[in-house]
Amino acid sequence: MSEYNIKTNQIAIINGIVDGQRISTQQLLQELYNKLEEGYKEFEISASGQHDIGGPLWDKENKLLKFKVTNPGQRVGSMGMVGTEILVEGSAPADVGWLNAGAEITVKGDGGDTTAHCAASGKIYIAGRTGTRSGALMKHDPKFPPPEFWVLKNTGSFSFEFMGGGTAVICGHGCDNLNSVLGSRSCVGMVGGTVYVRGNVKELSSQVWLMDLNDGDKEFLLQGLPVFLDKIGKPELINELSKGLQDTKEDLSPSNKWSKIVAKTYEERKTKSLMPLKQFRLNKWVEGGIFGDLIEDDYSISDLVSTGDLRLKTPAWKNAAYSAPCEYNCPIGIPTQKRISLLRQGEIAKALELVLEFSPFPASVCGQVCPNLCVDECNRKYVDQPIKMAELGKLSKDIKVTTPNKENNRKVAVIGSGAAGLGAAWHLRKSGYKVDILEQDKVFGGKLKQVIPEDRLERNILETELQRIIDSGVNVKTNTRVDKELFSKLEKDYDAVVVAIGAHNPVVIPFEGHEKLVKGLDFLKAVNNGEKPHVGEKVVVIGAGNAAMDVVIGAYNLGAKEVTAIDIQKPAAFKKEIKHVEMLGAKILWPCFTDKINEKGVQLKDGRLLEADTVIISVGDRSDFSFIERDYLDERGLIKVNEYMQTVNNRKIFVPGDAVKLGLFTNALADGRKVAINIDKMLSGQPLDKFEKAPMIPQDRVKNEYYHPMNPQKVLEMKPEKETDRCLSCGYCRDCEYCKEICPEQAITRNSNPDGSFEYTSNSDKCIGCGICAGVCPCGIWTMDDNLAKHSED
Amino acid sequence: MATIKINEISKDELLWQIEYNSDRCTLCGKCVAACPFNAIEASVEKRRKVINEDSTPAPKVKFQTVPVIKQNINIKNFCRGCGICEKVCPNESIKPVRNTDEKFAMKVRAYTGDSYKRGGRNNLHTMPRALDKIKIGRISQMTDPSLDAQRHTFEMLAPFGRVLPPEQLPLTELNGQLELSKNLPPVRWIYPIILGDMSIGALSGRMWEALAIATAYMNEELGIPIRMCSGEGGMPVRLMKSRYLKYMILQIASGHFGWNRIINTMPEMTEDPAGILIKIGQGAKPGDGGLLQAKKVARHIQEIRGVPKADLLSPPNHQGLYSIEESVQKMFLSMNAAFKFRVPVAIKVSASVTSISVYNNLLRDPYNIVGGFFLDGIFGGTGAAHEISLNHTGHPILSKLRDCYLAAVHQGKQGQIPLWAAGGLGMNGNLAADAFKMMCLGANGVFTGKLLLQIAGCVGNDHGKCNACNTGLCPVGICTQNPVLVKRLDIDKVAENIVNYFIATDQEIKKLMAPIGNSSLPIGRSDALVTIDSSIAEKLQIQYAC
Repeated sequence: MSEYNIKTNQIAIINGIVDGQRISTQQLLQELYNKLEEGYKEFEISASGQHDIGGPLWDKENKLLKFKVTNPGQRVGSMGMVGTEILVEGSAPADVGWLNAGAEITVKGDGGDTTAHCAASGKIYIAGRTGTRSGALMKHDPKFPPPEFWVLKNTGSFSFEFMGGGTAVICGHGCDNLNSVLGSRSCVGMVGGTVYVRGNVKELSSQVWLMDLNDGDKEFLLQGLPVFLDKIGKPELINELSKGLQDTKEDLSPSNKWSKIVAKTYEERKTKSLMPLKQFRLNKWVEGGIFGDLIEDDYSISDLVSTGDLRLKTPAWKNAAYSAPCEYNCPIGIPTQKRISLLRQGEIAKALELVLEFSPFPASVCGQVCPNLCVDECNRKYVDQPIKMAELGKLSKDIKVTTPNKENNRKVAVIGSGAAGLGAAWHLRKSGYKVDILEQDKVFGGKLKQVIPEDRLERNILETELQRIIDSGVNVKTNTRVDKELFSKLEKDYDAVVVAIGAHNPVVIPFEGHEKLVKGLDFLKAVNNGEKPHVGEKVVVIGAGNAAMDVVIGAYNLGAKEVTAIDIQKPAAFKKEIKHVEMLGAKILWPCFTDKINEKGVQLKDGRLLEADTVIISVGDRSDFSFIERDYLDERGLIKVNEYMQTVNNRKIFVPGDAVKLGLFTNALADGRKVAINIDKMLSGQPLDKFEKAPMIPQDRVKNEYYHPMNPQKVLEMKPEKETDRCLSCGYCRDCEYCKEICPEQAITRNSNPDGSFEYTSNSDKCIGCGICAGVCPCGIWTMDDNLAKHSED
Repeated sequence: MATIKINEISKDELLWQIEYNSDRCTLCGKCVAACPFNAIEASVEKRRKVINEDSTPAPKVKFQTVPVIKQNINIKNFCRGCGICEKVCPNESIKPVRNTDEKFAMKVRAYTGDSYKRGGRNNLHTMPRALDKIKIGRISQMTDPSLDAQRHTFEMLAPFGRVLPPEQLPLTELNGQLELSKNLPPVRWIYPIILGDMSIGALSGRMWEALAIATAYMNEELGIPIRMCSGEGGMPVRLMKSRYLKYMILQIASGHFGWNRIINTMPEMTEDPAGILIKIGQGAKPGDGGLLQAKKVARHIQEIRGVPKADLLSPPNHQGLYSIEESVQKMFLSMNAAFKFRVPVAIKVSASVTSISVYNNLLRDPYNIVGGFFLDGIFGGTGAAHEISLNHTGHPILSKLRDCYLAAVHQGKQGQIPLWAAGGLGMNGNLAADAFKMMCLGANGVFTGKLLLQIAGCVGNDHGKCNACNTGLCPVGICTQNPVLVKRLDIDKVAENIVNYFIATDQEIKKLMAPIGNSSLPIGRSDALVTIDSSIAEKLQIQYAC
């Protein structure tokens, strides 16, 4: 203990060179430790480049330790602690005060690179300049006083990198000619602390602010500078250095001007100072855009889901834009979907009358003899079974005729009272024409009456409907055969002539023995006329079309036991007819090529013999145009007509039905209606109609998913009026308001018109073009138009 | 009760299947309103249950018709998996799901005699990219001071133009001073990444302009001297008359589209363009010329290109060029002469087995008019290449670039005709790493296209998602000329995203330069690369590590 006291006032002298030999850093420091242990408080060290002189050292009695060092190596004062004072006479190499933790270090000359590197407390005074990265990583631990780092002249580049705390003062003495007192790229990564600097500063990091001093800063410097200058022994510089700190009106040269550098705050760092791109485009970029002369673009941005013109699709309510399958497939074009719609609305009379706009025979033809092509593609069949069209037709049987609104004082002659002729007469009469029908037979009604077996057509129904025609005011002259003379008179006396003579000349094929053949048409006429021709037990019918099937039925009715129909090709008769005759027991054979007819029956070319008591041929009929001038006919004897069934030779003459083309009753009725309408058009000077139908609605547009399949038994028992529940109303709005309810944007409204009609519209300001209206529409009315396709057409 | 037939496309064969949750769906219609492909639509479905609630059998039919969103099952309106429906759905009730058992491409060929799509990306990635097996392995650790990416000054400039070796510099001494005795070939020292080269036509007006704005912005506001290549579809006159022309590289390809307007605008140009790029081929569809489907040939495209609305098929080669020598003499001379030998001219080819021969030939360049060799690899994108070209033709870029570089080194001519490389760079999202590795392998710089579209908001990917670039129905308005769809694209946001991406890329390249101690671009510093794949190591002559 006493030994300590002894050393208190003594100075330990340590030399870096012993016996002419430089000792190692370790040896020198060991010597220093020994002296410290002995109680020395003051040290004079003549170093020879030894490192780390001055720290971390402390006195056991907490007395001040003083070091006076010459010629130190790197890191003098490194890790120096509170209570340590180090004075370096002359300059020191790199890392003076590295990790300084509280020591006061004064260097009378220059400091090397990384002076005050990582200093966190204490004070470092440098009388000259310091090297690169000085003050880097300085920081301040709040438990200790902040570090101070004073430099009389300047620092090297990259100074104060990553500085986190403390204070540095760079006085810029004698640096007037320097571009930057802090070198280049100073303060990169600086996050805290303050650097005071006098003179020019260039290439400062963008992460800091360079600011003017405030009064507190000036006070700090005015107090600190005399201390600093005293420490380095240059008190005379006080006036020069404090010039920029006085309140003076004198203009300061840049080299006299003090400023301070502080780091941007965390928040300030985050704010971007870059110009927004939109501002760049509007203010600096090519005015109006580089495509401004080519493309119209307001640079507005649309949402992925938009309204108005920016929709990808736009809805349209296209009611009745398509034909329903029934309407499309019916040769007459009876729109049953509309008929059922009227029924659904409770307009029963209108519904049943509607059919009469198309055909005078809804009960006879639609209801009985027609194969009902209308239901072939009825969409209801995808639910259970097609609409009961025949039953619906029969509902119109007893509808009374309404007299035409006004007579038009024109008259039309109709030759023939078959389906085509009566069809034409009916429609002409409805339009107010005076109609005279000339029929060569003793009864009127054509083949409906003459050849269709009663099995297939109830007589009372036919008579009722024929009577309705008469009731409409059509004038029928039976037993009136038209010859050339009469025909030319008709031509003169009437505004138009309808030649609806049908086909009444049976075709006979000249096989050997053909004279033995009974002609099918004659046979059927005889049957219906009540003549009961003898046929025997075995009958062969040559031909297997619909007429041939009627012949088969006739033969069975006359007592035949075994009837065979043969054809050279797949039978042309409808399935319904074939089924009918097969139920009677008939056989249909094909392909069969007849060789000859003999007593035994029909000899086929393949050697087979079909035994027959009677052989009836029913392979088609031709018309008899003998009352017309030859030049109306072509070389095959067929009448020359245009697409309107108008004779080429005379526009007043129209030829509908079997007379131009063999077909069904419904075809003949369709023809009759068409020529009636076109006669009216012709006589009122309008262009003729080609009766083109709207395309049939695609099946997937009609949503059968809404309908519950019904048991066939139940369907059978249902009244035809209840078909309103089964009809899918293809392409014809059933006014269910599904669209209106489901529209997610509530864009759809239903508008009623004064005449009772209605329409649905979609508001383009609300509609997003999702197509849900179209997707759920039970009838396929809503259609989505492709807005993208519209634009890509350019 | 629609019948299902075997020889019709069915849902299990589609590329993408719509997964739909009817319970969560409110039929808000957003998905169907937003899908440009009509791949989904509203419809109704039956629900039917015959249940018994009694103690003895007493059937009770419960029948419902439910509106739903349904996928269209046909070869025209097939789902491309773009996921726009999923994006707009507020209830997470709809999304496309990749069908791993799909047979779509094969079926479409069988049904239509054609491939199912054109353009997009290569869809047959069966192996990871070689680039991803390469790492920057030479990190300064006590050997030499590594640089600090944030504070060091880096010189990131690459040459576009013919660089003469010192001994060929036309220097003469005059009064003790060195003077140029004749003009040097033009060289632009530019950023080592070129944006490009996607045509007006391939891209929507907004997308193309956004790229041009981003380019100008990076130059003028950020000091990043980046350049953009026009692509084959010409240039808007307004841009050519502006001072921003100096940031643009004009492309001339086999269709020569747009050059009439370029030539006629020359007297009004106040700046020279940055360069001219002669396009011979493209990595994603080597052997094809440019292809632009009629659907995308909008009125302004027709005008700039000088053609009517039609499929625009550029010839597979430049007509009139029959050999390398002829290409150099005719094409390079003409294009050098176009701007009076002030603007550097480079050439772009699809990487090929023959690339080294071509490069060796160019390296002779007796007239000093060859300003760069651009090599484009197989993983690039394309707007309209045939599926077969896209998936089965082309050449990986790494070894080809390396071979060309080493060929130049062998002659001591590296750097004289700058090498630029591309083809799927940035495919994994990071362009900086890819660019850096390419430079270490010998590229002076790289160019990128597809990535820019990704940054801009392209919803597609390299695994067959969307890839409808040729249809004119791009759901985000990038690859379409349809004004309704283009309106979806926010030009300022696109430009901003690209700028931001390059701010990041710039920083990241520095982050790679710093640890290897390079303050200039690491061209040919293959010593910095290591790979865990010995065959890659052997082929590229880089270090094998494990």
